[in-house]
Amino acid sequence: MRRLPYLWTFLFLALAILLSIAIGSVFIPPADLWRILTGWLSAAPLPESLKTFAFIIASIRLPRTVLILLTGAALGGSGAAYQGLFRNPLADPYLIGVASGAGLGAAAAMSIQWPYTFWGLLAVPVVGFLAALLTVLLVYSLARVGKTVPTTNLILAGVAFSAFATSLTSFLMLRSTGELRRAFAFLLGGFTQAGWNPVLTILPFLAIGLGFLVLSGHALNLLQFGDDQAQQLGLPVTRTKTLILVAASLATAAAVSFSGIIGFIGLIVPHVMRLWWGVDYRRLLPLSIIGGAGALLLADVLARVVMAPQELPVGIVTALVGAPFFLWVLRRAKNQGYW
Amino acid sequence: MFRKLLFALLIVTLFLAACGPSVTATPAPAATQPPATEPPAATLPPTAAPIVLTDGLGRTVTLTGPAQRVVSLAPSNTEILFAVGAGAQVVGRDESSDYPAEAAALPTVGGWSGFSAEAIVALQPDLVLAGGINPPELVASLEQLGLTVYLLPNPVTLEEMYTNLQTVGTLTGHEAEATVLAESLKARVAVVGLKIAALTERPTVFYEFDATDPAKPYTYGPGTFGDLLIQRAGGTNIGAQLQGQWVQISLEQLVVVNPDMILLGDSAYGETPEKVTTRPGWEVLAAVKEGKIYPFDDDLVSRPGPRLVDGLEALAKLLHPELFK
Repeated sequence: MRRLPYLWTFLFLALAILLSIAIGSVFIPPADLWRILTGWLSAAPLPESLKTFAFIIASIRLPRTVLILLTGAALGGSGAAYQGLFRNPLADPYLIGVASGAGLGAAAAMSIQWPYTFWGLLAVPVVGFLAALLTVLLVYSLARVGKTVPTTNLILAGVAFSAFATSLTSFLMLRSTGELRRAFAFLLGGFTQAGWNPVLTILPFLAIGLGFLVLSGHALNLLQFGDDQAQQLGLPVTRTKTLILVAASLATAAAVSFSGIIGFIGLIVPHVMRLWWGVDYRRLLPLSIIGGAGALLLADVLARVVMAPQELPVGIVTALVGAPFFLWVLRRAKNQGYW
Repeated sequence: MFRKLLFALLIVTLFLAACGPSVTATPAPAATQPPATEPPAATLPPTAAPIVLTDGLGRTVTLTGPAQRVVSLAPSNTEILFAVGAGAQVVGRDESSDYPAEAAALPTVGGWSGFSAEAIVALQPDLVLAGGINPPELVASLEQLGLTVYLLPNPVTLEEMYTNLQTVGTLTGHEAEATVLAESLKARVAVVGLKIAALTERPTVFYEFDATDPAKPYTYGPGTFGDLLIQRAGGTNIGAQLQGQWVQISLEQLVVVNPDMILLGDSAYGETPEKVTTRPGWEVLAAVKEGKIYPFDDDLVSRPGPRLVDGLEALAKLLHPELFK
């Protein structure tokens, strides 16, 4: 298992995808599932009795599986990048304001009655996305000292602004009677819109953001020596850090805008990958992306099953199941002080 | 140089954010867009004319005939469906739909924390009856799956509630029953109106529906049925003075207003008159001293369906027992 990290994580992801398609609040017998999948592959017409099951799989489970997969990938990848960038084991993709900004934007958008149109339905995710990016930009410029952006300043500005935005969000939620539940669902990561539109909308941002992150493994390795050392080794430190920050924030903001704020995945998945397969960021980043996708898919399966047919916000499950799992991995880890 | 690059990246991002969906996504709410596979078939007997109605979101909803398999997403909708005689056509409900008793036996498709689209699809409904409490995202998601969704708007007056009865009657082919029901409800409301018309005394009422924090319990403000029905039952709702629909009132204000009567809409959550008397600070209230604290079934004022009239009668009886012997 030590030898083939990619093989194992891909197997894990494949298993998670399979479970995510096979399990839902409606029970589809494995035999029927098999007949539907093979029927599609061979393009044979399905018997009438399987039409509803086929519809559920194709139009409900598949788009959701892909959306959750992309969201988990974005959170896992951005989490690994943030931890490397800040050289801080507590860093997660929400450290400098993506979550609090998106939450504020979403709550503000929800306090307005949008018309029931294509754009009206997109208002909440789009405003959430823009607010998340604006927050990062604001925190970044607040933390700036001359031409450099000291990491500590960035963290502190992020924490302070997040506290401010979170309070404002709570205020908006209390003010808006009736829509409280909707905002609450967003903040817990249970904000779901079905269909392929969310997937298609976030895909370009994730492709840009995660694509850049996968290529920045070497730079992140150099940054682990400290800014001065990295500079001496020929890395344009400030520019690299900013680009990584923008790429990670872009991916996270897009993911969060349609799924709500899902905690813990971005913090824990990179740590588990690091504990199992070492600290080389060239490997850690892709592994965290794949692992994040798999982990969130599994959490989502649980969220759908625990109280079926009610669906729990997936953000509750990630921490509830993720924290004990992580503690178990941490206890078993032989490499003390791996960080 | 580098700042320019960053700036350019941001601009590109904002641009993508602004026009991304229109480039990448197909229009969502298009009813004409065929779903990936056949939508759950609506096996309807062919009837004369299609039913075309505009719903609470301004959407035009078309049914080929009266709905035969209805999934209700709100307790008030379920109560209306059963009251107009369409109970046998209901095949699914939300978690909170517990009235009438037959409804509670139906399969659930989700509840306040979230609905399961696949559970709804599996029931093969030809109509999903959403309510004002359901978010538009849910309606859009179900519509995209090829389901027929009608969102019944939240009524604010009894007249609007009667209109909703009529609408549900039309959607399910029970128009005549809906009319009879609405007429009988109107007659009962009129009786209460006549009896209290002669009153000169209007007792002040404090209605609480959540006293998790007894220092500032929640009450019904203007624009709610709780407020409207207390007025119609010949009382003065002290919440009517407050700003907002579901509002908190501080104990200080309560002491100043000193209501004649306290109604416990939260009795279903374990509040009792005895508990109220032991709340610190509440002993100074006249209603507490005189024992004028009564449990009340909050469903009768919070669910905008036909049972609102039961609520009106129950309130009138509590407020003016001498008139309703």
